[in-house]
Amino acid sequence: MEFASFLLKRALWSLLVLFGLSIIIFAIARGIPGDPARISLGPAATPEQVQLLRDRLGLDRPLIEQFGLFVGGLMQGDLGRSLLTERSVTADIRDTFAATFELVLVTITVALVCGAPMGVAAATWRNRWPDHVVQFVSIFSAVTPTFLKALLLQILAGYVLHILPTTGRLPAGMDFSADLTGMLLIDSVLRGRPDVFFEAIRHLLLPVIALSLASMGQIARITRASMIDVAGQDYIEANRAFGVPEHVRVFKYALRPSFVPPLTILGLQFSALIGNAFVVELIFAWPGMAAYGVRAILQKDLNAVMGVVMVSGVFFVIVNLVIDILVGYVDPRVRIRGRR
Amino acid sequence: MAHLSELAAEPQRLSNAYQNWYRFSRNPSAVIGTAIVIICILTAIFAPLITPYPEHVGAVVNFRERHLPPSADYWFGTDNVGRDIFTRVVFGMRISLLLALVVLATAVPVGTVLGLLAGYYGGWVEIVIMRFTDIALAIPGLVMVMAVAAVLSPDLLTSMIAIAALWWTWHARLIYSITRQTRVQDYIEAAETLGASKFHILFREILPNCVSALAVKTSLDAGFVILIGSTLSFLGLGIQPPTPDLGTMVASGAAFLPSYWWESVLPGCAILFVSLGFNLLGDGLRDMFDVEDVR
Amino acid sequence: MIARKLLASVALSTMLTATIPLSAWAQNVVTMTTGQIFRSIDPAKVTDYTDYMGVVNLYDGLTSVEPDGSIVPALAESWEVSPDAREVTYKLRDDATFSDGSPVEAGDVVYSVERLLRINQGPASMLAGVLTPGSVTAVDNKTVKFTLAKNFAPFLAVVPAIFILNEEAVKPHEGDDDAQSWLATNAAGAGPFTLKAYDRGTRLTVVRNEDYYKGFPENPIDEVRWIVVNDEASVRAMGASGELTMTGPFQSPDTYDALEGMGYKIENHPTSSTLYLKLNNQVTPTDDVHIRRAIALATDYETIREVIFPGNRLTTPLPDTFKQFHADDVPEPKYDLEAARAEVAKSKYAGQPISITLGFLTGIKYQEEISLLMQANLEQIGFTVTQAVNPWNRVTELATKVETTPAVNQIFFSATYPSPDSMFHTQYHSSAAGTWASMEWINDPEVDKLIEEARGTGELDKQIDIYKELQHKLVDMQSDVFLLTQVSKHALNKCLEGLSIIPMRSFGYDFSRYSWNCD
Repeated sequence: MEFASFLLKRALWSLLVLFGLSIIIFAIARGIPGDPARISLGPAATPEQVQLLRDRLGLDRPLIEQFGLFVGGLMQGDLGRSLLTERSVTADIRDTFAATFELVLVTITVALVCGAPMGVAAATWRNRWPDHVVQFVSIFSAVTPTFLKALLLQILAGYVLHILPTTGRLPAGMDFSADLTGMLLIDSVLRGRPDVFFEAIRHLLLPVIALSLASMGQIARITRASMIDVAGQDYIEANRAFGVPEHVRVFKYALRPSFVPPLTILGLQFSALIGNAFVVELIFAWPGMAAYGVRAILQKDLNAVMGVVMVSGVFFVIVNLVIDILVGYVDPRVRIRGRR
Repeated sequence: MAHLSELAAEPQRLSNAYQNWYRFSRNPSAVIGTAIVIICILTAIFAPLITPYPEHVGAVVNFRERHLPPSADYWFGTDNVGRDIFTRVVFGMRISLLLALVVLATAVPVGTVLGLLAGYYGGWVEIVIMRFTDIALAIPGLVMVMAVAAVLSPDLLTSMIAIAALWWTWHARLIYSITRQTRVQDYIEAAETLGASKFHILFREILPNCVSALAVKTSLDAGFVILIGSTLSFLGLGIQPPTPDLGTMVASGAAFLPSYWWESVLPGCAILFVSLGFNLLGDGLRDMFDVEDVR
Repeated sequence: MIARKLLASVALSTMLTATIPLSAWAQNVVTMTTGQIFRSIDPAKVTDYTDYMGVVNLYDGLTSVEPDGSIVPALAESWEVSPDAREVTYKLRDDATFSDGSPVEAGDVVYSVERLLRINQGPASMLAGVLTPGSVTAVDNKTVKFTLAKNFAPFLAVVPAIFILNEEAVKPHEGDDDAQSWLATNAAGAGPFTLKAYDRGTRLTVVRNEDYYKGFPENPIDEVRWIVVNDEASVRAMGASGELTMTGPFQSPDTYDALEGMGYKIENHPTSSTLYLKLNNQVTPTDDVHIRRAIALATDYETIREVIFPGNRLTTPLPDTFKQFHADDVPEPKYDLEAARAEVAKSKYAGQPISITLGFLTGIKYQEEISLLMQANLEQIGFTVTQAVNPWNRVTELATKVETTPAVNQIFFSATYPSPDSMFHTQYHSSAAGTWASMEWINDPEVDKLIEEARGTGELDKQIDIYKELQHKLVDMQSDVFLLTQVSKHALNKCLEGLSIIPMRSFGYDFSRYSWNCD
């Protein structure tokens, strides 16, 4: 019962955030200098076409009504037409989202799976070499611009060692279309194509490393701090006194509550992660939504930019909702006092 | 009017300062960070004096000497039109620091004041300000900054506006939480009873409690702002050529990988260097002030 | 080596070191990179070189073009021009078939032209005022007659750009938009290849139509995959991994060098694509002919041609690949800063600081380098320079108004059909003003008159005289700075043969002309 009301509260809050997001996007879209209809139709549009779109967007009506139309459009998945591809932004995003989703999902998994044990190791061997290595990695991964990491990985693995592909999701010659989920790792398994799975992983490696290092470092750092914190608490000491074996103490009693801060930090990190996905997709020619967004930004394709921002925002809000629920599940105290 | 908070703290003040300094100077990351930051600031200020080819900042072309690797003449090599990369990196550092300075000089005061107001007054002031920051923080920041930069014309000012427009929320949240804790302290209530003005209480009694946290956060932020600024210009949304900018230089050099690696890697390392400096400095300050939860 | 050994000990080693099984392809597959997306594969909507690249492989026209510019039979085996040059009658080949096997008939031609005129985009602009609805009629099943609304000398040269659609295949999908949505993702033509996969932003794949009526050379190309790659590094990476078969013509010199080092052959072909600095003749300071001349004199042609962008000399608006029409007596432009200073002194802006805007395209390396070079030189002769970097669709928008068009614009132009008319009418006629190709805003009645005269006359000698006069006039006005004609460079796999440059947009990338000459 208590958990249900927690879920409800979180969900309502997410809705409120989405509403705020749409206000901000609306403000940006209407705040730009010039006629939004003219800009979103591009230079080739005739005055009649411009007027038609002005009517549809209600640009001659009061702002509040315009906002209503805007949100109504969003609800129906109408993000307008892209100047660049000359088709609906919704369709463009639908085609590119899976690639970004796969990249981000694998990145989060890698960051958690590698970051948390690193933190545990650092806490367990505090002030010894594993600790120093983890500290070093976490500082440098935080201060190195993602594009530099990506470029260095590309030079090293792609050009010097020639061991990994540096662009795209699959080799150009590979004949496979991910038409089930859009995610190559899943579709290749479902279709029974181990060769595709294998190539997909090889292509994922460099972008994922470039993208996950920063989050990994932060997760390791937080896990370490919270392990040290928890280890000092009474019940762990009590366990020690009762003779509970070391590995049980570390993994059962210290680690589970220690999961909360890394999860929380992941929620925060996720914002930077989405932003950096734009850079990583650009550098590794990853055919995802972020790369589409970068092109749209550079080409001033307004509808596409707004669509990509909106979808990234929704994605971010949903991930944070999921994390909130997970944290609330792992740590009942959070249900009452809230995450932050 | 005497500052009650200071009166309370006065006896310990000197020894505290000394203790702080002692802790700071024994902290290797703080010392290294300070050194890096000072080096960066000095090179930025004296850029025209210490660079070998200050004229290479602008539109100078020397196609005979393009793509030269690092050497005694050109420490960081030359770029695709034959300009000295070292010179341009030093001047690019200027732009990065200027960006951080302007963004923080706008975002920190705005965030601080709003945070103070929200924390002190509570009620609808708090609701309006803090719900707004919550929403702003629940939206992926870099993506938002890119969107703002995209609809305006790409230049330095745009990047500054776009980053500052989001950045103040972090400071508002930090100051808000400290103010909430401070507000209920005895000496604040004493000052209120004595009839001190709201202005006095906010800025003379509460604000000093925030200074250490603010210093840590601002130092850490300087590094992040520089990273974000360079990411924007890497994507082509920052300052436009020929003005040297580190992110732009990396992007432009990346077209010549792997043959002329120095054109992208070395400016990239310069960004790493500056942001490392501010990060270490922030870490050091955090240890010194013992404000563990500021990130 | 050590790094490799270490990695080899990891369980992932097989994954890391596996290479793509290149030899596994039994077929001849060409993978070509292109820097722009395929905006459209609808023959009524194609505009730029990338769009045409797809369409010339999927569709055929009545006629085609050879490298020397001559018009040769394609779907039509012969044609006749009436004495007054107002009627052209094409006779279709008996064996001409669409890729679905159905015969190409006169009705398909009528349908295709009518649809082109209705949609009025892309190739339709070349036919504006020349063909009107009803101009094309089917004389019989295999004969089709074009009646021109006015004299238009370059007509025969434009016809190859009219691609013929399979009416029967298109009709069921017509909807309310002339099948525009269907043809945006499907093809229904008589070309040498059929559509296999098309993803607007990233790739286009076509496979050979075994029953192509014109047949193929020995060892034909079975499949062509175009991949949209925006950056040089990715192109090189694809070269290093062996995925790449052929690049487009717009890579940086460094990329070609790198690819040559990886064993690719580099082919250089002179083209009729020209690079101009288009000077806005109506805004300050380029409204003064002396300023325009000063800019031309402050241009370091040799460095641009030899270091920045591979090219040949360009002396007039017309590249000398149009041999008989080219005014050979115009001297080559010189780089002379002293003379440039003297011209500035003669201008009405002498003695004051002169601000000038140099426009170029976002993300195009050679344009950025040329712009920097121009800035460096212009600053030496007293200009204050602002760089205006804009993406392509912004440039096309700025070009619509005289006051938003920057003073100096770097623009690449290539003839859309093999006639000097394509160079002059599109760029210099006042009726074409307001497009990216005509950012000069010349608006000169005499120039207009000459262009129209050349269009209207059927006599070659007279045309030659007019075009030469036009060139003298434009050079005299210094309408543009004439930078260079492109030497197109491609990096190709050593086995790939058949690349030639054809003076009609992207016809050289028709892969039925190519063959794979290795095992």
